[in-house]
Amino acid sequence: MTPDGALVRLENIHKYFGDLYVLKGIDLEVDRGTVLVVIGPSGSGKSTLLRTINLLEEPQEGRVIFDGQEITDIRTDVDKVRTDIGIVFQAFNLFPHKKVIDNVTLALRKVLKMNEEDALKRAHEQLEHVGMDHKADVYPSQLSGGQQQRIAIARALAMRPKLMLFDEVTSALDPELVKEVLDAIKQLAEEGMTMVVVTHEMGFAREVGTRLLFMDDGKIVEDGNPRDIFTNPRDERTQSFLSHVL
Amino acid sequence: MIGRADAIRGWYREQTPISLATGLAGAIAIAVAIIGSLVVLVVGGLTPFEKIVASATSGAQTAVLWAGLLSGGAAILSGALVYKKMPTKAARETAVSGAALGVQAVVIALFYLWFRSGEKFDTFVRINFSFDILGQFASEFVAGARNTVVLAFSSELLGMVLGLFLAMLILSKRAVVRAPARTYINFFRGTPLIWQLTFIFAGIILAARLPIDVYQAGILVLGLNAGAYSAEIFRAGIQSIERGQIEAARSLGMTYLQAMRYVILPQAVRRVIPPLTNEFIILIKDTALIAFLGLTSSQRELFGIGRDAYSETFNATPYFGSVLGYLAITLPMIWVVTKLERKLRSGLTGIVGM
Repeated sequence: MTPDGALVRLENIHKYFGDLYVLKGIDLEVDRGTVLVVIGPSGSGKSTLLRTINLLEEPQEGRVIFDGQEITDIRTDVDKVRTDIGIVFQAFNLFPHKKVIDNVTLALRKVLKMNEEDALKRAHEQLEHVGMDHKADVYPSQLSGGQQQRIAIARALAMRPKLMLFDEVTSALDPELVKEVLDAIKQLAEEGMTMVVVTHEMGFAREVGTRLLFMDDGKIVEDGNPRDIFTNPRDERTQSFLSHVL
Repeated sequence: MIGRADAIRGWYREQTPISLATGLAGAIAIAVAIIGSLVVLVVGGLTPFEKIVASATSGAQTAVLWAGLLSGGAAILSGALVYKKMPTKAARETAVSGAALGVQAVVIALFYLWFRSGEKFDTFVRINFSFDILGQFASEFVAGARNTVVLAFSSELLGMVLGLFLAMLILSKRAVVRAPARTYINFFRGTPLIWQLTFIFAGIILAARLPIDVYQAGILVLGLNAGAYSAEIFRAGIQSIERGQIEAARSLGMTYLQAMRYVILPQAVRRVIPPLTNEFIILIKDTALIAFLGLTSSQRELFGIGRDAYSETFNATPYFGSVLGYLAITLPMIWVVTKLERKLRSGLTGIVGM
C-alpha cells in the first residue's frame, strides 16, 4: 500500500448491539492530514463508527483497513495496530490509581518497551505540550475535568500515533473547561495530525474540520466541506438537525 | 473546623438541667452495673472459683446492682417523660441516650440478680470460670494461638492465589474455560467445610497414603475452600471497574493480560480488601474445624487446645480460654476492616490515599 493512500478505509460496515442495528453499511475513506468531524443526533451511530476504527467495537460485517492493513482480519495483531491509533474518551478514562506521569508512561514502557528514562522524557514533553507538566506528580482525581482530558490527550499522543480519535471529548466538561480542551485539539490539527472527531461543538466543527460527516440512523447522510454543509445543507435531516443546534 | 473543646462547649450550652440529669443518671447506671460488678469481682479475687461465687452473691454486689437499677429506672422514667419537651436537638438526644443506657443497665442488673439466685449458680461458676485451670494450660494456649494464626494465614495465602486465578477463568468469554472453574467454585461453596476436610483427609490423603499430615491437609482444604469464596470476591471487584478503564488500556495497545495486571487488578484489589478481610475472619474461625481431624499435641490450634483441656479436666473454662484467643485475633481485624470500609466509602481518597 502506498503511503499516500487513505489512512483509514471502512468498507460496508454493519454493526448490531443485540437487536439494535447501529451501523447500516458504512463506507468511508479518511486521507492523511484530514480533520474529519462527525456530527449527528444522539443514537445516530457516530461514536460506534469511531470506535470501530480501532476495533473497540467489532463490526458483524465489513472490513476496516488501517494504513494498508486489514485489521478486521482475524490474523492481524490488533494490539499492535492500536499503538498507531490514539483515542480520547468522553469520560477521560485516566487510570485513577496512577499519577499523571505514570498514566502517560505506562504504555510507553509496557507496550512500546521504552526504558524508564526515555519514557519519562517523552511523557514530560507531551504533558508540557498540553500545558500539564506541572501536574505530573498528582493523581487524576485532584484535577479538573479539563485538565484530566488534556492529560488523556497527552497520554494518547505520547504513543506517536498516526491517527487520533476523539469521542465527544468535551461532553462531560463544565462549560468553562471546554475551550482549553478544544484548543489542544485545534493545535494538534494545525500540526497536521489526521483526526476523526465526534463532537457536539458546532463552532469547533466548522472552524477546525477539513471535512464533515453528518450521520443519522446508522448511515452517513452528508459528507463534504464543513462550511458548505453548515451554510447550505442539502439533506432535509441535516437541515433539521442544524436548525436545532445552531 | 471546630475543636473538640468547642464542640463540647457548644453541646453543653444546648442542654437543660433535666436533660443533663437524665443523661447522667443513665451513664451512672450502666457504669455501676458493668464496671461496678467487675470491680466487685476483681477485688474479691478470681481464683479459686469459690471467691467468684462469694463476690457475686455478696452484699456489695447486691448494693451495686440495686444502685444500677434505681439510677437506670430514674433515667428511663425521666427520659420518657421529658424527651419530647426538650427545646434543642442536643438536649433531646441526651435525654433519649440517658433512657437507653438506663434500659441496658436495668436489663443487666435484673439478669444478674436472677441468674445468681439459681440453685446451681456455684456449679456454673466452677465449670466455666475456674481460671486456675487456664493457668495450667497457658503455654499450650499460646502455642495454639500461634497454630491458629499460621493455619489461617497459610490457607488464606493459598486461597487468594487460587481465587485470583479462578476469577480470571470465570471472567473468560469462553464457556469452555468458565465451566471447570465454575464447577469447582460451586462444589466448594455448596458442600460443608467439615465434609471437605474429612473427605479430602480420610477419603483421599489417608486412603492414598499421601505424605501429607493433618496440619498440612488442613491448610490445603481451607485454602481450596477459601479459593472458591475469594474467586467470587475478586470477580465482583474486577467487574466493578468501569468499562472505560479496560478500553483505555486496550486502546493504548496493551494486551488483555497487561490491561488486567497494570490497570484493572490494582484497582479491583483495593476495592475488595474489605470483603476479603471479612472472608479472612471467617477463615480464622473455620480453622477450629481441623480439631476434628485429630491433631498431634504440638499441632493443636485454639479450639483443639480448649477441647483437649476440657476432656482432661471435665471443666469448660478452657473453652473460655479458646474464645479469648479467637477474639484477640479477630477483633483487631474487624476494627481494621471497619476503618478500611469507611475510607473506601469516602470516595476520592479510597483510590488515592491507599
